[in-house]
This record gives sequence, structure tokens and C-alpha cells, in this order.
Amino acid sequence: MNKHIESITQAVQAKFSVVAVTPVRDDQAALDVKPGELHAVLSFVKAQGFRQLSMLTCVDWIQDGEFQLVYLLFDWDKGVRLQVRTRIDRKHPTFTTVTNIYPGVQYYERDVHEFFGVEFEGNEMSFKQLFLENWDDIPPMRKDFNSKAYSDKKFPVREYHKDFSKEGDGK
Amino acid sequence: MSETMDMIVEKDKKLKEGWEGISRFFRANSLWMLMYCTGCCAIELPQAMTSRYDMERLGMGPMATPRQADVLLVTGYLSVKTLRRVIYAYEQMSTPKYLVAFGPCPINGGIYYDAYAVINRLDQYLPVDVYIAGCMPKPEAVMNGFQDLIDGIKNKTADGWKRYRDNYEWYKKNQVESLGELRIKDEFHE
Amino acid sequence: MKQVKLFLGPQHPGMHGNSSIHMYVEGDIIKRSYLLPGMLHRGFEKTMENRTWMNNIGIIPRICVPEPDPNEMVFASNVETLANIEVPERAHWIRMLILELARLAAHLMAFGGCGGPTGLYTAMYWAQADRDGILTLFEEITGQRIYHMYIVIGGVRKDLPKGIEKKILAYVDDLERRLPDYEDLLLNNPTIIARTKDQIMLPAEVVWELGVTGIGMRSSTGKAYDIRKVAPYARYDKVEFDVPTANYSDAYTRIRFKWLEMHQIIRIIRQVLVMMPEGKVREKGLDGNALRWQVPKGQVYTAIESSRGEFGYYTVSDGGINPYRVAVRGASFPQGLLGVERYLPGHRIDDAALWFDTMGICSPEIDR
Repeated sequence: MNKHIESITQAVQAKFSVVAVTPVRDDQAALDVKPGELHAVLSFVKAQGFRQLSMLTCVDWIQDGEFQLVYLLFDWDKGVRLQVRTRIDRKHPTFTTVTNIYPGVQYYERDVHEFFGVEFEGNEMSFKQLFLENWDDIPPMRKDFNSKAYSDKKFPVREYHKDFSKEGDGK
Repeated sequence: MSETMDMIVEKDKKLKEGWEGISRFFRANSLWMLMYCTGCCAIELPQAMTSRYDMERLGMGPMATPRQADVLLVTGYLSVKTLRRVIYAYEQMSTPKYLVAFGPCPINGGIYYDAYAVINRLDQYLPVDVYIAGCMPKPEAVMNGFQDLIDGIKNKTADGWKRYRDNYEWYKKNQVESLGELRIKDEFHE
Repeated sequence: MKQVKLFLGPQHPGMHGNSSIHMYVEGDIIKRSYLLPGMLHRGFEKTMENRTWMNNIGIIPRICVPEPDPNEMVFASNVETLANIEVPERAHWIRMLILELARLAAHLMAFGGCGGPTGLYTAMYWAQADRDGILTLFEEITGQRIYHMYIVIGGVRKDLPKGIEKKILAYVDDLERRLPDYEDLLLNNPTIIARTKDQIMLPAEVVWELGVTGIGMRSSTGKAYDIRKVAPYARYDKVEFDVPTANYSDAYTRIRFKWLEMHQIIRIIRQVLVMMPEGKVREKGLDGNALRWQVPKGQVYTAIESSRGEFGYYTVSDGGINPYRVAVRGASFPQGLLGVERYLPGHRIDDAALWFDTMGICSPEIDR
């Protein structure tokens, strides 16, 4: 890890109770924090120079019964990247919005809501449809949604009445 | 008296066929395609329009509104949301109208055969006249496909719109089964 | 005046890509607007979880249609970090060449695309004809015009064919000789100047609020915020190039920046062709059958600078033969969604298509 990443992770560890710090690359590190401290950590690192939120995304750890929210931050002046991660419950997934810290996260929260079902309190737009229309099943990016079964049920496939494998034998 | 009536009806039919042959000839050499890029393969259409491959020597040019267009190009895969709008545009075009499908995705799903938002067979929902192979098809393949369409119009084999008109209930049943609601009541999602 | 509901629908001659804007207009001025994405939604992230690591390389170029090579680069880069694969030296330089040619093709298309909404179709035809020359070069190097599948895990798929350097240099010299004609056609044109100077402004506070990157960020903050300079990848720190910056971002400046960046791309390509070393081009790295590769556990994000801004993939691997999760960060997600909601109102209807052009919005990477 280069010195900028070292200094920011040490500063965060000094002020908050971080669950784990994982170095990913020379200029990238991952911080796992508790859900209650996430807002404070984001405000702190934003003040230290991480002014850009590249993306908010979610990972479905179905074996552990948890969703992991990942906030990807970038510091344009020093060229280092930070992943701030937290885990929430999978059965009743709710979280508070961070639009007061990073306003651009509004549509990323709508994206996570539509595909995973996480409810963001404070972002009232997130309950409207965005990418899907008239969706009638569970949120599609969850691990217990079978995409092929849904596609076979709704969209019929072409049947081939000629068995091409027999022709290939040279007969 | 009756022979003269038969002869008049016969001559009338021959005249009508003659006029239809002439109108098919003109129609085939002046096709207007609707400007609607529905999927990935549309990136190669501007290349087919520029002077290296030049669609306009076949008589084809772009047109802005469905009411005045002849050909609807379904370039590539169709997601469910787009299919509703394509059906809307196809039904607004006036007959005779033709539909050309690009790539393997409208044939049997292509690389998105197991995707929850992409349809697998286009001819369940709309009648297709010409399929063009390739992922994505090169401009030479596109020009070849257009030439096939022009030959099909002259030979009376490109009659998708007649099939749509005659089997309308079957097409509508398939559309409603796969898409649910065809005309979204709350388009603005408010 | 009454407010009318209108949509600049998916089927429109001025639309770029397949998405529609829903707006409320009063007379000619837009009062409220929302983008309706999802017309190109394929569920790509779910599809990627159902294919093996090597199979995925065959399908990911289709996520961003005008410029497919950044997809392959970030995917390969993620796996190389997780599996600790060292890419050979020559492969880095070939990757730079491919990425820069793809940027040039995308910039040409965007620059000429500004001719569409303003009525100057000559620019569009010139730019598409020049883009055709680049696609022919790609066909000779990689075998395909648009979707190359050339940058793979561990390097590139095959070495460059013999004699390709002469062809690339001939093409690049010819384009550089004609770039002043492009400037005369589009940038010195009084109609274009009247329509774009001091219009469609992008102030610096809006850039930080939305998270806009790329030309929009560099033309309004005045700093060289380009990932190739700030956090270089693939030997960009060994070539010399400038990054144009400005403090005042109107539509004219952003169009002009595309033209200026084309000069810098040509400069990079010339240096890459001279400085490229010999050697092998691919490092296998993972053992076993390519269709049964298992990548070690980890979560990593890579971003590179595409023609529209920061483009990245977040890959999660749990040690299996399929990726566990891949999330795509499209470069135009911020300005396409939140930008249209907050900053398009106030413009006229005829400027909506021009707004899309100059902000650099590409629909497939928003919808995935």
C-alpha cells in the first residue's frame, strides 16, 4: 500500500471502530465498518479529500444471510481509491440514505433497491420503477432468482424440427 | 352477354395485376427505413450509409416518422420495454410494410438466451421478412440482406404484413402472454 | 401557459441510443424532465454470473457499444489483480495501442454526432467515414470490426500482424492532416457557435455534486483529472501527452476538447509504435483448462479513462469457476440520470438532443 492509503486507513482506524482493513492493490484498500458508523466514516473521508463517489453497489451473500453494501470512493488529487463496505440483514434490508453527503448517490440507491430490494429511508424516489417495467417477481439480482427458468417460462424458444447432429455424421 | 361480363372481369383482374407489378417495382427501389436503433447492431448502420457501402444506391434512405416509413429495422436484441414500443411503431406504419431482423438475437435469443429481460423469438410477436446473420453483421452482410428484401418484394414473398393482418389474434395472444400489459397506462411512472 | 406532457421518445432522429426523456414543457421551454432508462436493459450482471471466466470475455464488449475495449481491459485487469498474474511488457503497449484507437473512434463518432442535432450532416458523414478506417485497422489486428475480444486475462490474444505499423501510421498521418478541416467545418461555423457558445453550462459545483467525470470535469474545474495521469495503468506514465483543461464549461468548449484530445491521441499512438519492445504477448497464469479456471477470492475495483469518463468494473470472486458478482460503473450514469432530472429543465426542446451529445451520454452503459 502506498503512503496515501496508509495514512487514510490509519486515520480512520484511530477515530472509528473498523471491523477489518484489507489491502487490495498498491493504491486501493477496503474498509469494513459497522452499519451504524458508515455515515460518520463517509463524512470523515470526504473531508480528507475523497470527494468523488464512483458507485454504490450491493453483493448478495446468501450463505451468510446478509447483503453487503459497497461504496467506492476516489481521491482525484492523490489518485487513491477506497472501498467502504458494510453488511446488513437480508430478510428485512433497510438502510439510511447518504444523499446528504454525496448527492449523486440518489440513482445508485434506486438501482440497488430495484435489483436487490434494499429500502433506503430518506430517499423517497427509490420506490418507483426505473429499469424494469411491470416486474412481477422477486428482485432479479438476488441469488435465489433463477434467470433461465424465468426466461423459459415467459419467452418461448424456437424448436428445430430437423436433427442436425445426424447429418453431421456424413450419412 | 355473360361472356362479355367474364371478359370484362378477366381484363379488370389483369389490369390490376399489371398495376400491382408496377407498384411493387417502384416500392422495391425506394424503401424508407425508420430511424429507430433498437439494439447493438445499429452501430453499423451509419457505416452502411456512408459512401464506402452506400445504402442510397439501393434506394434506401432514413425517415423520421413511422407513418411515412416502409421498413422497420430491428437491429439486434429486443428487451421487453423496447418490444412494447416497437409493436406500437409497427402498428402505426401503413401497409405495405416490411421488417428486417439483424443478428442471432431475434432468431433464438443469441447470447442472451437465459436473460430475464430479453425476448427469444421475434416472430412470435411480429412477422419477420428477412433475417441477417452475424454478431454484429458487417455492412456487406447488411447490404446483402437489403438486396434480399428487394428481391422478396419483387417476387411477392415478403408479405409479413399480410400474415400479421390474417393471424392478428395469434400474434396478440403471444404478445400479451409474454409482455403482460402492451400499452402502459402510467407511462410517466408517477 | 399550460404544461404539456411530451416525450422525446426512443424512436427519434435526434436521440442517441435507445432511451427516452419524459418532459413537461411550457411553450418551448422544458420545466421538468426525467430520463426513462431500461430500454436496453439485458440483465447483463446476472448473465455474467452464469458464465465462466473465459466465457465472459466473449460477451462483455457488448456492454458499451461505441467503445467496447475498456470493458475487456477492466475485466482482465481485475482478474490479474486477484490471481496475481504479471502481464508481459509488450502486452501493455499493445493494450495501450488498442485502447487509444478505440478512444479515437469514439471521439470521432461523438464529434461528428454533434452535427446531427444542429443540422450539419456533413460532419456526421465525414466522421463516420474516418471511423470506418479505424474499424478496418481493427479488423486486421483482431479479426472483428466492432467487438474485438482481444484483450484477455494475462495479455492480449495474439501478436500484431506484420506490416500493421505502416498502415496505422499512414492512417494517423492522413487524419492529422485533415483535422484542421474538421475545425473549420464544425468549430468555426457561425451557426454552431451561435447554438453552443455560452449554452448548456456545467459549473464546477454541479460536477462535484453529480460525480461527473471525463471531459465535463476537466473543462469546468480546470484541473487535469484524467485517470491516465492521476493513477496510470498500462505504461501511460512512460508516454508524453497533454490533457486539455479549462475553467469555463459551455457546450462549445466540450466539443472543442474532443477535437483537442484527438491530437493528443495521435501523439500517443506515434510514441507507442516507436517504443514498443519485443517479447511474448500473453502470460497464462491460471492452470488447467481455460473453461474451468478458478480465480482466488477477493473483491477489487478497476477504473480506466474511456472517452466519456471513468469506466469501471467491481468484481467479486469466491473461488469458483463463475464470477460471484460483477458490477458495472458506466461513465455516463451520473449525468444521464441525475443530470437530466436537475439540470435539463430551463433549456429548449431543440437543445435536449444537443445536451445529450455534449454531456457524452451513452445509453447501453447506463442500462447494462
